[in-house]
Parts: sequence; structure tokens; C-alpha cells
Amino acid sequence: MEMNNLVVLPIFVPLLTAVILMFISKKINIQRWISVGASLVTVMIAGLLVHHVSTDGIQTLDIGSWPAPFGITLVSDMLSSLLVLTTSIIGFAVILYSIYSIGEGREKHFYYPIVQFLIVGVNGAFTTGDIFNLFVFFEVMLMASYVLLVLGGTKIQLRETIKYLTVNVISSSLFVIAVAYLYSIVGTLNMAHISQRIGLLEEIPGILTVIAILFLIVFGLKGAIFPLYFWLPGSYYAPPVPVMTLLGALLTKVGIYSIARTYSLFFYHDQSYTHDLLLVLAVVTVLIGVVGSIAYWDIKKIIIYNIITAIGVILYGISVATTTSMTGSVYYLIHDMIIKAALFLLIGIIVNITGTSNLKKFHGLINDYPVLAWVYFIAAISLAGIPPFSGFVGKWLVIQGGMERGELIGSVIILLTSLLVLYSVMKIFIYGFWGGKDQDYPDQHSISYNKLLIPAILLTVIAVLYGFGSEFVYSYVAQAVDTLMNPEIYIEAVLKE
Amino acid sequence: MSVLHIAILSPFLFAIIVPYIYKRLRQIHTGWFVLLLPIILFIYFLQFLPQVKEGEGIVQSVSWIPSLNVDFTAKIDGLGLLFALLITGIGSLVVLYSIYYLSKDQEQLNAFYVYLLLFLGAMLGVVLSDNLIVLYTFWEFTSFSSFFLIGYWHHRERSRYGAQKSMLITVFGGLSLLGGIILLYIMTGTFSIQEMVANTSTIINHPLFLPAMIFILLGAFSKSAQFPFYIWLPDAMEAPTPVSAYLHSATMVKAGIYLVARMTPIFAYDANGYWVWLVGGVGIFTLFWGSFNAIKQTDLKGILAYSTVSQLGLIMSLLGVGAGAVHFGNDNQLFIVATIAAVFHLINHATFKGSLFMVAGIIDHETGTRDIRRLGGLMTIMPVSFTIAFIGTFSMAGIPPFNGFLSKEMFFTGMLRVVKMDIFRFDSIGFLFPVIAWIGSVFTFVYSMILLWKTFGGQVQREKLPKTPHEAPFGMLISPVILASLVVIFGFFPNILSDRIIAPAVETIMPMFAIDEIHISHWHGFQPELYMTIGVIIIGILLYLTLGKWTRIYQLFPNKLTLNQLYDVLLPSLETGSNMFIRTHMTGYIRTYLAYIFTFFIAILSFTMWSKHAFHFESTNLADIGLYEVLLFLAVIIGTVTILASKSRLTSIIALGAVGYAVSLFFVLFRAPDLALTQLVIETISVALFLLCFYFLPRNFHLEKTRFKLTNALISVGVGLVVTLIAISSYSTKLFPSISQYYVDHTYDPAGGENMVNVILVDFRGFDTLFEISVLAIAGLGVYGLIKLRLARRKEG
Repeated sequence: MEMNNLVVLPIFVPLLTAVILMFISKKINIQRWISVGASLVTVMIAGLLVHHVSTDGIQTLDIGSWPAPFGITLVSDMLSSLLVLTTSIIGFAVILYSIYSIGEGREKHFYYPIVQFLIVGVNGAFTTGDIFNLFVFFEVMLMASYVLLVLGGTKIQLRETIKYLTVNVISSSLFVIAVAYLYSIVGTLNMAHISQRIGLLEEIPGILTVIAILFLIVFGLKGAIFPLYFWLPGSYYAPPVPVMTLLGALLTKVGIYSIARTYSLFFYHDQSYTHDLLLVLAVVTVLIGVVGSIAYWDIKKIIIYNIITAIGVILYGISVATTTSMTGSVYYLIHDMIIKAALFLLIGIIVNITGTSNLKKFHGLINDYPVLAWVYFIAAISLAGIPPFSGFVGKWLVIQGGMERGELIGSVIILLTSLLVLYSVMKIFIYGFWGGKDQDYPDQHSISYNKLLIPAILLTVIAVLYGFGSEFVYSYVAQAVDTLMNPEIYIEAVLKE
Repeated sequence: MSVLHIAILSPFLFAIIVPYIYKRLRQIHTGWFVLLLPIILFIYFLQFLPQVKEGEGIVQSVSWIPSLNVDFTAKIDGLGLLFALLITGIGSLVVLYSIYYLSKDQEQLNAFYVYLLLFLGAMLGVVLSDNLIVLYTFWEFTSFSSFFLIGYWHHRERSRYGAQKSMLITVFGGLSLLGGIILLYIMTGTFSIQEMVANTSTIINHPLFLPAMIFILLGAFSKSAQFPFYIWLPDAMEAPTPVSAYLHSATMVKAGIYLVARMTPIFAYDANGYWVWLVGGVGIFTLFWGSFNAIKQTDLKGILAYSTVSQLGLIMSLLGVGAGAVHFGNDNQLFIVATIAAVFHLINHATFKGSLFMVAGIIDHETGTRDIRRLGGLMTIMPVSFTIAFIGTFSMAGIPPFNGFLSKEMFFTGMLRVVKMDIFRFDSIGFLFPVIAWIGSVFTFVYSMILLWKTFGGQVQREKLPKTPHEAPFGMLISPVILASLVVIFGFFPNILSDRIIAPAVETIMPMFAIDEIHISHWHGFQPELYMTIGVIIIGILLYLTLGKWTRIYQLFPNKLTLNQLYDVLLPSLETGSNMFIRTHMTGYIRTYLAYIFTFFIAILSFTMWSKHAFHFESTNLADIGLYEVLLFLAVIIGTVTILASKSRLTSIIALGAVGYAVSLFFVLFRAPDLALTQLVIETISVALFLLCFYFLPRNFHLEKTRFKLTNALISVGVGLVVTLIAISSYSTKLFPSISQYYVDHTYDPAGGENMVNVILVDFRGFDTLFEISVLAIAGLGVYGLIKLRLARRKEG
């Protein structure tokens, strides 16, 4: 466990790229090439990082060589590096998709650098080992998301950005407040150090549980759990599809990651309170998600509400907090990021072709777009957790974990709601793709259908391999869960004691 | 990877190349290429017969996710082999039939055969997998291939409807099955069926036993169209007829039967008799309900669908009752006849029902309709089809000398013996089984006769037929003729099956018993079974002749109360209900959302504070409150109230600035001059910026009358209170020394700075600062983009 500069590169490469891109905003073609190239480099670095972590254990980097816990320490454990890799892959796919769909207007107004900044924020949040630095990366990520959401300045964007901004500014201030409270009690910001110090306490003061709940609210607002999700369906609906994809696939997951990290690393001393609360919230989140996803005939809304469902499933595994359930959650988390991104991109292609997201206004796409239809089908059943595709192992283990701990009702709800998930996404297949070939769409020939399809296929193929290759993935996931279940591994790696 | 695995997976591999074959060799019907595979597989599986007869199972394993105990273990035993032969045998005949049924010029044959092959492979996987997770995987594959085949003509509304319905119900069953599998794993620590069978004693005494059993049965019942899940099967008839014959009669719908048979050695020991009662009871009721409903159908395939439901119920009830045998030790031979009958009837049903479906397809193909009200008199026009239908229906009705007669007799024997079981209260209400069985058989007889005579008897009504009827082409007749011949052959020589196929299968279902010899005979002497059959025929003929008189009873069941109606109402109302529910709280207003969020914030945090006794106030470290503090505090309060109360925007902003300055004076008081300076600068700039923006804003900003809202006031006070209380408690609970001493010690050396705050900002925590700067940069870019770029409303994607 030596210092490793590789840890900072998934943050640094996009940062540098963003800075370079800022200066060539009018040269669209060069911007595109640099964006694609740099995100590919980020993917490779992240892959290398995963490899390092799997062979040499947790990689850390004390920034400025100030030793932990006094400086800021970046920590790549397996969970973190896997998420960084997933983020980088999604970033790459979305940038590729943006080239053919986002439009020159946005491209000339710093779209690409801001996407890179967003990736900086997300990768940073996954990597940092410092609770205040986590806040900073949240800010980077959020500021980038505000700008992406509003860029273009259409009416709906402006309206929804105000809401999104308001909620997130509030949650950011709560974040700082929560960090201050925690600091007052434990006197440190390094997460490993916080864990170590709390571990020394013979009796856990009640206020620490209160602060744990406060953090849950802060991260839950980002992660859109019940009852903090209200802002999400509207806000994610407004921006163009690539932005929707980035927000939908990445941002909520940062909130969930933060809950998983803090609740496994240092807020685990009062599980009968904190984790049981989380369990109830998780189940209700799942229910809210499926209710929303079957309530609409708008394909964007259907997928957006499925974000909430997935968050509930992941959170359920975290709240059960056994090795099985955690393994399930980690499997599911990565799966969901990839497959949600794929679905959003596919939905985007449909909207591009038909000019509408209203499922009642189009049908029969399979006749002209068979590849789109089949890729969508695979993505849809992956989402619903049909084996052997990517969602299955995660769902299965989350449910098994719950049942092993005697949470029969919650687990059965998770199990059976996946039928409604399937229903919601297959509705798009049955009514949108099936049907006679008797409809023409005004814009259908003006788009680069094949080129838009490439990133969507790329992500779907990754998801399929992820499902079939569950054994290969397992060794990585198991390592991630090992650290989550045994905080001392993390502490030892960071504080080197 | 063994040959067996390749055999199971070969349909999937073949499915990949089908589209290429279709594209390249358009002039040859794709079915001819596809046909090779099931034939080869059928021959391949045949060679296992001798081995399996000797009781040697074949087990081959390939690891898939060993870390999670999931291995693709393929196992051939009596039961698996029986199904594998059915799947490949009927599969070959169906593919052959489809070549003549589906036109190569008009149909999307590539899609059709891909789905069919996926199904073939999935079904083989289901019946040959020992690992339940793998079984479940294939199980869901059968549901989806069925979905695609039902929706094959997806431009038809009914096809889409039927496909969606079958998917929802069978996948529901699949999920239940998964739940059951997980529970079984929790009990036994294995996904292997063989190992579970070896661990039966652990399972039956486990508290999760009953939930596991119910979950598994829900899976089996929904797949095998048992009451009340059967409603998807009639709508599945939208699929092309070869598919109906194959999936929705001979094979896929028997997956549930297979599962129940497979799980019998695990669950039959249940000391409370739930298994026997549930499987037997649901089965026998389904038998009755299906046969009863078949009579009112007017579509040939509709009759056959309900008939299938009914026959599946029959097999299911036999498996349930047969499972009772395990409770009788060596005295079991009395009851095991039910299990033997189940296996025998399974085969018979596949033969006669397969041939009947194919005839229905022929009639549809050659006359253009399947409506029995328009059909009739085809006997002379289509003599071969008539002969096949005659054999099939008479076998189904249980009339000698066909195979259906034999298994029907055995069915009666099995049901009659239920009464002799003196456990689980069968001795008191068990008599219902033979009674319902008999009634169901009468109805079966009636609809069999309807099927045959309404189509082939009477006068031809040429004017009602869309096409001029004539006999089917030779190729189309091959498959049904083969099946009908089997009906006759098995009818005369049932014992060619008994030792080779039935006995090994029964041994798999009942591994606890040694099956010495099975002999199926035609004549049992004057036994109750014989009287029951005679009764069925007599009463059946009477009922058939008086059809018009009594079918009015069907009108007694209002359409609104059927299960189908329930589904049709439930699904849309689930959608509209959800939509209404969402609309109740998703107002689109951020103020509503914030009210929800803050209410939760107040509620959960104050509850936690209260229940954890978290409030704590420590005053030892606090300084005295001086006059300046009080004054500043008042200034902040007054400023805040002014912001809210002011009618003028200018006043509000100035008040906001005043609050900010007051806060910075607090920093002065607390001896943090650099923070005070920073704060002053920020306040000045922001007030100036706000004032600058005035120019662009509409003049009257209080046009919307804001009333005082009590809830909002309570929420804001509540939030303030909670935050303050937690702040005080946190401040009063300092459990560890702060790490800040390190900064004090290291600012000069080695950091080389003189101002500790500066050193923290640019060195100790310079990483934070770097990214805060980035945040500013992003914001700047955003503002620029917001001002410069105003896209018109256009489609987004």
C-alpha cells in the first residue's frame, strides 16, 4: 500500500481537459476529438487503477504529502475505483453520443468542458477520503450539473433549473453544517480517522446518531430517496438526453455511494436505528419508483422513475448490511449506472426519430429500426433483472441478503416490484416498437441514427458481459464488499498503522 | 463443456445463424434448415434411454458463477429425458408442420425460427438443469420466447395484448419461483436439486418451508396455467398455430408440471399435507374449471386452450395426490398409481392435443376461419383431417381404444384411492376428488364432441367461409398423422412406454420407492373406474345432444366477474391509480417539495434527538455574552425580519447586506479579522451585484399577493430550531481533540508560511481550494452560456 499518483489521475485528466477545452470553445471539431480522446484516456487510467487495487489492495495518495489525517487523502479502494471506472465509461459513451446530437449551439458554449468538470466532480467524490473534500467535489459536480441543466436556456430548462438549484443549494448548506457538527464531535475530517475515533468510543452518544441521520438527509437529497426525491422527476426531464443521461446515471449514484461509504465506515454503531430506518425508506423508495414508472406514458418519465426504484433496491441492500446484501448492492449499483445510461441514450434515439416522448404518439419502430428495438429489449430486461443479464445477480443477492436476515416482507416487495419495472419498460417495447408500419416521422431521416446507436450498443454490450461474466466481476465486487464490511481494512490503508 | 451442454445450447447457437440463412437462401423455406436440429437432438437424447432405464443418470457440470454456487450442471434422468424427448420430438413435428403453415414469401421467418429455437433451447435447459438458478434463467427465457411468439403478428392489437398478458403472468410466476429458490438456498446452502433432495429433512422442519413451497407453487401454477392464473393461455392463442401446438399445449405449459414433479421429493414429506392439498386441490379444480369453460368457446383454438388448461389441471392433481404416497411407507403402491397416471397422461396429452392443434391450424388455413358457428360438414371435404381429429378427440374424451382412455382410467383409479387415504382429512372430504374428476370428465367429453362434430359434422356453410375448403397439402398432414398414429399405437401397446420411459420418470419423482414394474392394461374387470367411464359417455352424449337447452347456465356468470375481466380492469386502473397518486403530491411547485422535505427533516431529526436523548448543553467552555454581541444579534434579527416584511426590493437587499455586515462584525468580535474581511468583501460585492440586476427586473415584484402561511412559518421555525439544537448539542459533545493543533505546529515549518489560514487554504487543504476555484470557473462559464445561448424550443434528444 504505497502512495500512488494513479489515484488522482481520473480527477486530473478531465480537469486538465476541461481547462484546455475552455480555450478552444469555437473550434468544435478539435473540441470533439480532444473530449473523446481524453475520456478514453480516463477510462484506461481507471481500468489500470482497478487492476492496481485488485492486485495491491487499497491505493492512497496524501495530497501535498501532508500525512493523513491532517492533509487531504485520496483513497481508491475497490468500490471507489470500480465506480470511477464505470463513471469514466459512461462519460465516454455520453460524449460520443453528444457529438451527433447536442448541437453546435451548446458545443460552442462550453458544453464539453463542463461535461469534463462533471466527471471531475463525480470521480473526485468517489475517490476522496476526506469528508470536507467530499463536499467540495459535490460542489464541482453540482455546479457543472446546474450549468448543463440550464445550458440552452429553453423555458422548461430555466424553470426546472431553478427548482433543482434551490434544492441542491439547500442540501449543500446542510452538508457543510453536518460536516461542522461532526467535526465538532470527532475533531477530524479524514473519514478513516473519523471511523477510528468513533470506534474508540465505549458508548456512542445519541447526537452522533442524529448527525448520521442528518448526513442521510444530505446524501438522500442527492440520491433521491423517499421522501427527498420530489425534485428529481421534473428536473431530469428538462435537459437534452445526453445531459439527462449523465445526471440520471451518475449524480444520484454519488449520493448512494456516500451513504454506503459513511454508513459502512463510521455510522454503523447504531444499526438497529439508522439501518432500520434506511430499510423502511428503501422499500418505500422502491414502491414510489415503480408507481411513478407505471403512471406515465411518457418514455422519459418511465425511465426517470426507474432511477428511483433502482436507488431503493441498492439502498435496501446497504441497509440490510450483510455481506450478501452488500455484494448485491455493489453489483446492482454498477449495473444500474451502465444500464440506465444505455436506456437513456436509447430513449434519446427514439425521441430523435419520432420527435416525441409520448408513447401514445408512435408505434411500430421495430419495422424500420430492428437493431434499436433489440438493443432496447436487452437493456430493458437487464434493468428488470432477468438472468443472465446484468441486473440479475445484484437483485438476487440483495433479496437473498434480506431474506437471510429475516426481512421477508421487504425482500418480497423488492422481488415482486421488479415485475412492475419490467412492465414499465416493456410497455415501451410493446406499444412503441411493436405495431404496424404505417407512420412516418418528419425528422427521421435527418439524424445520424447509426452513429447515435454506437454508444448505446457499447453500454448495452458492457452490461451483457457484466451479466454473463458475473464470476469475473465477482472477485472485484467481493473485494469492494470486504472493505465495506471491515472498516479496519480502510483505516489501516489510510492511516497506515 | 460436454456434448450434453452443447446439445442444450445448440439451439441458441443455431438461432444466431438463422438470420443469415434466411437472408442468403431466401428461395428455400428456412424451416428446412431449422428442422435438422430438433431431429438430431431427438436422436441424441434417444440414445440415453437404455442408460436411464438402468437408473444411471448422466451428470455433467460446467462452472458459471462458482463463487455464488451457480454451476451449469446438466443432468439426465428419467423425468428430464422424458421431457427432452417430448421437446425435441414434438419440436421436430412442429417445425415440419410450420414449413407448410407459414408462407416463406409473406412471413418473417427469420424472426419466427429464432424465437422458436430460443424456446427449444430454453426448454431443454429448464428440464435438464440441476442448478436452480440456471433452471430459473432458462425458465425466464421460455417466458420471453413465448412472449415473442405470441406477439409474432405484432401489428395485431390482440397479439400485443396476449403477449403482454402472458409475459406479466408468467414472469410473475418466475419471480415467485426465484423467491422460492432463494428460500430453499437459505435452508440448504445449495442450489442443486439433487443435494436438496438429499437434505429433505432439514427443509421440512425449517420455518421457511411453507413460504418456499408457496413461492415455488406460484411459479409452477402460473406457468402451467392453473387456476386462477390460466387467463393468459386463451389469449396466447394469438400465436401462430404451430406455436400453440408446441409451447402452449405440449411443452412450455408443462414446465410447471415438470417443476412440481421435480420438487415432489423435497416437498411431499410435508407433515401437514399442504403440498398434497395445494397441488391436488388446485389441479382438480382447474380440471373442472377449464373443461366447464371450454364448452362455451366458439373458436377452435379457444376450446383447445381451455381444454389444455383442464388437462394440465388433471396432470397436476395426479401429481398432488400421488405425493401422498410418501406418507405410507411400503404400503405405497396403492397411491403411486396416480403418479404413474400423471406421467402417462403427460405423454398422451402431448400426442392427442398436438394433433388437434395441428388440425385446427389446417382448418384455419384451408377455410379461413376457426369459428365453429361457421364451420361444419368438412368430413367429406377433408377426410384425412377428420380422421386425425376423430382419433384426437376420442382419445381426449377418454374413449377406448385410444391412449387417452387408458390414462383416464388410471386417473379415476388415482382419484378413487384418495378416499382411502386416512391422512390430512382426505378420509372426510377426499371424496370430492373423484366427484369433481368425474364431472370434469363429462365436460371434457362434451367439448371433445363439440370440437369434432361442429367442425366436421352437419352441413357445409360455404357462404360463411372466407375460403373454399379443401384438404390440406400432404406436407401439412405429415406431423398430425404421426401424432395421431402414436395415439393409436400407445392406445394398443401402452407397455412399450411403461418400462422405458414411464418407470424411470416415476422413479425420479418418487426416488424413495423402488418401482418394480409398471403394467398398463386395458381391462381391469368390472371396477368403479369402468362404471365411471361408462357414466361419462352416457351423460356426455345426453348433454351434447341437449346443448342448446342447458348452455344458458353460462349466462349466470356475468362477464364482469371473470378473472379475465379482473385483469383487464386491474392493469389500466393500476396505471391510472398510480397517475392519480403521483398527481396528488407532485405539484411541480418547488415550495411544495421543500415543504415535504423540511417536514421530514424536522420530524425525523427531532424524533431522533428525542429518542436518543441526544440533546446536550455544556456551558463550561462558553464566554460571557457582552453588550456588542447582543446588539449585533438584534441587528441580525431586525435585518432578517425586514427582508421578509419589506414591500420594496431595494429595502430587502439593503437589509440583506446589513445582516451580512453584522455577521462579519461577529468575526471581528471573535478575533478572526481575515474572515471578517472576506465576509465584508463578499457582502459588498453581492449587494452591488443584486442592485445591478435591478435594471433588468420588472418593477413591481410583489404583484403576487403573498399571504401569511402558518404551515410555512411553522416549518421554517422548526428547521431553525432543529438546526440550532443539534448545533448546541454537537458543540457540547467534544469527544476528541481537534486535529488543528497539527496546523499550528507545522505552519512555519515545514509549510513555510506565516498565516495559518492561508497555509491551510493553499497548502494543507490546497486541494479543496483548487476545486472551489473550479466551481467558480464553471459558474462563470454557465453564466456566459446562459446569457449568450438561447435555443428556441425544439425537439430535444
